[in-house]
Amino acid sequence: MFQGQRGWFCGSVGQDLRQFWMAEGGTVSDWRAADFLFSSDASHPDTLRIYHSLDYIEDNATVFHAYYLSAVANAEIKNSVALGHFILPPASLQKEIRRKIGGFIWEQDQHFQTEKNEEV
Amino acid sequence: AADSCTKILKYRCSGCISVGNPLNSRNFSKLLRACPYQCDRHKVIVEAEDRYKSELRKSFICNKKILLTPCRRQQLSSKSAIPGEINEHI
Ligand SMILES: [Zn+2]
Repeated sequence: MFQGQRGWFCGSVGQDLRQFWMAEGGTVSDWRAADFLFSSDASHPDTLRIYHSLDYIEDNATVFHAYYLSAVANAEIKNSVALGHFILPPASLQKEIRRKIGGFIWEQDQHFQTEKNEEV
Repeated sequence: AADSCTKILKYRCSGCISVGNPLNSRNFSKLLRACPYQCDRHKVIVEAEDRYKSELRKSFICNKKILLTPCRRQQLSSKSAIPGEINEHI
């Protein structure tokens, strides 16, 4: 499914999701060269570097939650999962966005959230 | 009510359309921005990110100015150090 696509992974992303990406034909690259930017934690320094980049400011770098990959892995039809539902906004905006839209898709499956369940 | 709304919007909001769409981190923001039928969720996210980006843009410009100032000064002083240069150009 990810044949020929280059992905960048924040240090916050689990090894199993990287392996899934590669098993589906994706390669791993430098963030500047990557087609897909995946993170599991918007406040991780790796991801912060992207939010502070010119690419991000100029709308050329959207960070997606790596939960997208597990949603794809678990979907009956792999390409039926909407990538757009997995935007990962900067951590400082999440509280406000959550208040307005009532939570992110990647938060809804609580059992999947590793480690950081007790976030406010 | 919100559910039926998202169902209708689901087929119009670019951010929510996935199948057969070569979306990635590079084109997503622009695609979403260009979409006239953004759903509520995407509208909220785009607005919040826009504010964040414009704040950053401001601080970027500030940083650039600070960086540029000594360069300009150097340029000016090197120009004035070469006598006759300005006259030649006139
Ligand atoms: Zn949408």
